[in-house]
Amino acid sequence: MRKSVFGKRALAGILAGIIAVGAFPVTAFSAKKKDDVIRLRVCNWEEYIDFGDWDEEETIDLPSADIIGVNAMWKDYEDWYYETYGKRVKVEYSSFGTNEDLYNMLTLGDEYDLVCPSEYMFMKLMDEGKLVPLSEHFYDTSDENNYYARGISPYLKNIFDRSEIGGESWSKYAAGYMWGVTGIVYNPEFVTEEEASTWKILGDPKFKRRITIKDNVRDSYFAAVGALKHDLLTDPAFTSDPEYLKKLEDEMNDVSPDTIQSVQDYLQDVKNNAYSFETESGKADMITGKVVANLQWSGDGVYTLDQADDVDFLLNYTVPVEATNVYFDGWVMLKSGIDGDADRQHAAEAFINFVSRPDNVIRNMYYVGYTSVIAGGDDPLIYEYADWNFSAEEDEEDTIEYPLGWFFTGKEDDEDYILTAPSDCMNRQLRAQYPTKEDMARSSIMVCFDNETNEKINQMWINVRCFNLMDVPVWVWILIVLAIIAGIVLYFRAKKKKVY
Amino acid sequence: MRTFRFSRKNLSIPYVIFLAVFVVIPLFVLVYYAFTDRDGHVSLRNFIGFFTDPNTLGTLFYSIVIALTTTLVCLAIAYPTAYILAKSRVKRKSAMLLVFILPMWINFSLRITALKEILTVLEENIAYYPFLNAVIGMTYDFLPFMILPIYTTISRLDPSLIEAAKDLGANDVDAFFKITLPLSVPGIVSGVAMVFLPAMTNYVVLDMLYNSTYIMGSLIGSYFAAYNWNGGSLIALILLLLICVFTYLTRNLEDEDQRAGGGALL
Repeated sequence: MRKSVFGKRALAGILAGIIAVGAFPVTAFSAKKKDDVIRLRVCNWEEYIDFGDWDEEETIDLPSADIIGVNAMWKDYEDWYYETYGKRVKVEYSSFGTNEDLYNMLTLGDEYDLVCPSEYMFMKLMDEGKLVPLSEHFYDTSDENNYYARGISPYLKNIFDRSEIGGESWSKYAAGYMWGVTGIVYNPEFVTEEEASTWKILGDPKFKRRITIKDNVRDSYFAAVGALKHDLLTDPAFTSDPEYLKKLEDEMNDVSPDTIQSVQDYLQDVKNNAYSFETESGKADMITGKVVANLQWSGDGVYTLDQADDVDFLLNYTVPVEATNVYFDGWVMLKSGIDGDADRQHAAEAFINFVSRPDNVIRNMYYVGYTSVIAGGDDPLIYEYADWNFSAEEDEEDTIEYPLGWFFTGKEDDEDYILTAPSDCMNRQLRAQYPTKEDMARSSIMVCFDNETNEKINQMWINVRCFNLMDVPVWVWILIVLAIIAGIVLYFRAKKKKVY
Repeated sequence: MRTFRFSRKNLSIPYVIFLAVFVVIPLFVLVYYAFTDRDGHVSLRNFIGFFTDPNTLGTLFYSIVIALTTTLVCLAIAYPTAYILAKSRVKRKSAMLLVFILPMWINFSLRITALKEILTVLEENIAYYPFLNAVIGMTYDFLPFMILPIYTTISRLDPSLIEAAKDLGANDVDAFFKITLPLSVPGIVSGVAMVFLPAMTNYVVLDMLYNSTYIMGSLIGSYFAAYNWNGGSLIALILLLLICVFTYLTRNLEDEDQRAGGGALL
């Protein structure tokens, strides 16, 4: 019986060993941490926060302050939290690749306290009751550490307040981080601004094989709806309707069977017209000149234009006339992670506030390239940063006024917030970073569809991408039948031959 | 504590654990998902859905045609190459073989990116012809997997068989078709097995080449991205069954010894 004894005991021993080794640090730490260190698990998009380590000469020299990222943002947060609240917090920072990946990670049981998905994903999480509401204190503007409540752009705050799912407004659960709109990056040498200013460019045969679109059903759907409903959406009677905003949102989120079908047909044309469906490569292909236009998120648009400028290649950016998809990434706290722990929730909310502190906002914006939802409130720093980035040189003569009051104070023509920018700014980084108020007037969120609708839309996408069996020509079928017959005949002949 | 003995039974323990955790259990999970719906009820919905939708069926058809074409093209290139390599009298045969294995040592994403650049230099973006594009990409990626097993088989053939054939009056062509070719079938079968299935599923190659028409692998990916584990699992299961059928049909053509040889070289 030697063998069996060895087998069982050794196996048990090995298993026990593995379990002990695996469990030891966890139990040891969690026992200790419960007392004095709060553990905060944050999961964000890849490369979506300042990792620090800037060169000295990268310092952003603003009138009110010099900004430089030395440490990673979450390390600075740990120090700040200790100084402010007298408690130690340890941030475990990790990242995800797509909203769907994050959702799958959560489904598989990964635990996080604070995550930063896009709006449709936090809507889904809200709808499924997986989130912890933000505390009342979080919105208390009298606490000067509440940088989020004090600093968020009134315009965007309004969107967060009025957008709902399941009868609850976003603001109850989600705090915005970065935002943007969808637009078109184009090469002015080949594409006029007018041509690029409509979603119809995606199906325009003039740019056959010279245009890319996102490999992503939501963005493609929105663009296709925009192109299909071009006439309605640009009709003055429609745009001047008192209920315009509401109606626009309904039109852009139209998922009636007819619309889904026509979107499918349209995207099939786009598939034959476009150079590619891309997720990352579109930026590089614009800069190398392989394609002349691509559907782009505004933050990536800024990046693409910056990269092109570095090699003296002129690219432009514009927002289509029909409508644009305004999207957000927002911080939400998960029930599964917070687990009723008041200290941890406090630390999570403080984290949101810390990344919303104007100097940190600038660090993140500089590092990431996207636009923060934070306008800064009383603090002029963020406007100074916009000014530092985009305003015209003093000796420049050809300038225009670019009002940003809508974003910073909610007053559209606020005189204190009018940038004097070079006259080409309308097609450049400035418009991608801070769209005009006219762009925003025709912006619509894209809602989170229910499971059934999602299934239909995903099926539509699969139909667009798949090869349809009905497209197989008759002669191919005949050929296949002949080949099978030939195969069978050959098989039997070979069998017969083997007799000798 | 008794001393550890290097018996067969003990040595197999790590592999048995590996097999259970990474092969057997996942297989059960796969079958479970394939035949249940979103709420976990047993259902044939995925199954019926797949076989009644012209788009998914079309993708199966399309993938098989791509895989077949890729396999044939690979075979057409690989067989002569392997034959020449194996028969050549060059002293440094291994150096020549290296030329063909070398691409396998370069990261495939780099290779495919390079291929993409070459294809775009041809002005017409070949991705516009999804089928041609797929075949080129797959062939480029999988060719070495076809060359090696065939090379191994041919180089191990006993030269005396051919000498005997010639003594009995066969010319070179006869000797090739009656001796070398039939005896190299096991190598061909191994090669085909290594090229055919990956060519049906390796959608990363197509993505990187901007190919926007789905194959079976991309379909799995898109189902998973939409949290549809069930649909994706079913497709994986269909692929698994396809490969089982293939293995069953070719079971007499392969001999264990040759396979082991090919595997060791790889």
